[in-house]
Amino acid sequence: MAAAYQYRPGQPSGGLQDPNFLWSVFQRVDKDRSGIISDSELQQALSNGTWNPFNPATVRSILSMFDRENKGGVNFNEFTGVWKYISDWQNVFRTYDRDNSGMIDKNELKQALTGYRLSDQFYDILIQKFDRQRRGQVAFDDFIQCCVVLQKWTDVFRRCDTDQDGWIQVSYEQYLSMVFSVV
Amino acid sequence: MAASYPYGQGYPGSAGQAPGAPQGGYYSGGQYGGGLPSGSSYGSPAPGGPYGPPSGGGAYGQPTPGGPPSGTPGGPYGGGSAPGGPYSQPATNPYGAPQPGPYGSGASGGNIPPGVNPEAFSWFQTVDADHSGYISIKELKQALVNSNWSAFNEETCMVMMNMFDKTKSGRMDVFGFSALWGFIQQWKNLFQQYDTDHSGCINYNELHQALSQMGYNLSPQFAQLLLSRYSQRASNPGIQLDRFIHICTQLQSMTEAFREKDSGMTGSIRLNYEDFLTMSAARML
Repeated sequence: MAAAYQYRPGQPSGGLQDPNFLWSVFQRVDKDRSGIISDSELQQALSNGTWNPFNPATVRSILSMFDRENKGGVNFNEFTGVWKYISDWQNVFRTYDRDNSGMIDKNELKQALTGYRLSDQFYDILIQKFDRQRRGQVAFDDFIQCCVVLQKWTDVFRRCDTDQDGWIQVSYEQYLSMVFSVV
Repeated sequence: MAASYPYGQGYPGSAGQAPGAPQGGYYSGGQYGGGLPSGSSYGSPAPGGPYGPPSGGGAYGQPTPGGPPSGTPGGPYGGGSAPGGPYSQPATNPYGAPQPGPYGSGASGGNIPPGVNPEAFSWFQTVDADHSGYISIKELKQALVNSNWSAFNEETCMVMMNMFDKTKSGRMDVFGFSALWGFIQQWKNLFQQYDTDHSGCINYNELHQALSQMGYNLSPQFAQLLLSRYSQRASNPGIQLDRFIHICTQLQSMTEAFREKDSGMTGSIRLNYEDFLTMSAARML
């Protein structure tokens, strides 16, 4: 149950340190020139390596991480965080996508999540739940979502498991609150 | 329907049926598997599945409009609200004359397959622009609007696609769409009923009321948590129909997950780490 998944700083991708570059990206993504990148603007700007649109749940979870005032989007400052965050995930994804297929299959996912010590069966559930393309493996956006949800559920579980014995006793509302603080 | 109905407050017979909806034809209980790995072929919970009847109204799960916040649910928690499962019949008379869709798209006549709501059929023809016989998430999103004319958010469309796409192909045929149509109409009715100030969106007080009338025994803080997770803007912390459907179906599904574990009906369960992950992930819509 160790926090298995810390995305790595990785190699900064091209232009990461260049604010001018990021600013031009921001302006291109901010289609309505509102100064705020909304969920749909961000979604359109992101690619998961297929023709399908980027997972809207991933977009929502990323935005909620960086949108500090809960304004429904990110400003330029916050966008630099989003950019770095996604680049980091890209590096993680490439690291575990051993066969460079652009998708993470079950074995690759196991490698990526080793620290969690989960049963084989659970990986099947993960794949089934997060694989939106229904190919039996997960694309980049679904991979992020899978890791984020798993990480957050692990965190809420650990917080609840005060004596750290791996078991919790929860009421109905406690359970729902744990689950819904994530999804 | 489920013979072993453990949560005294309802009666199994018509669980999962919407107020006034006829008995579901395709979806008679048992199959609400919540996307359990090898579970039901529909992979998603029937809203108001076998445990469904809310305690609010009578035995048929009709919430009490404006009534007192529903008597105490039989079990320690309530839940399961009205709208029928993916394959229950829509409430509209299936053999009536075709009606124009909400945007005045004329009824296209044609041969309406048996069991398909004519209104849904006509709307399907409009949405399925390429006449492929299927609609995609993108087409679905274009077809559905909230009361403020915003398009349904894609996440809700995704959840509904997962519920009604019985082929698991990421697209929906006219039968799935017709079932979905009925499902949405039923949620829409509830939404309007709970939107007591008729603002077109459900605010915090209304959400708390709604949950309680649907039979959920949940604190105001929980309603707050839901809103903060799903409403996008702090400046307007209300939800439209799309998020309302998303929240309610997800809540039903997670309630099911809890109930399954709470065999003693004590309202409290003991879980290890992987139990917790498995039940939650499997029930995630």
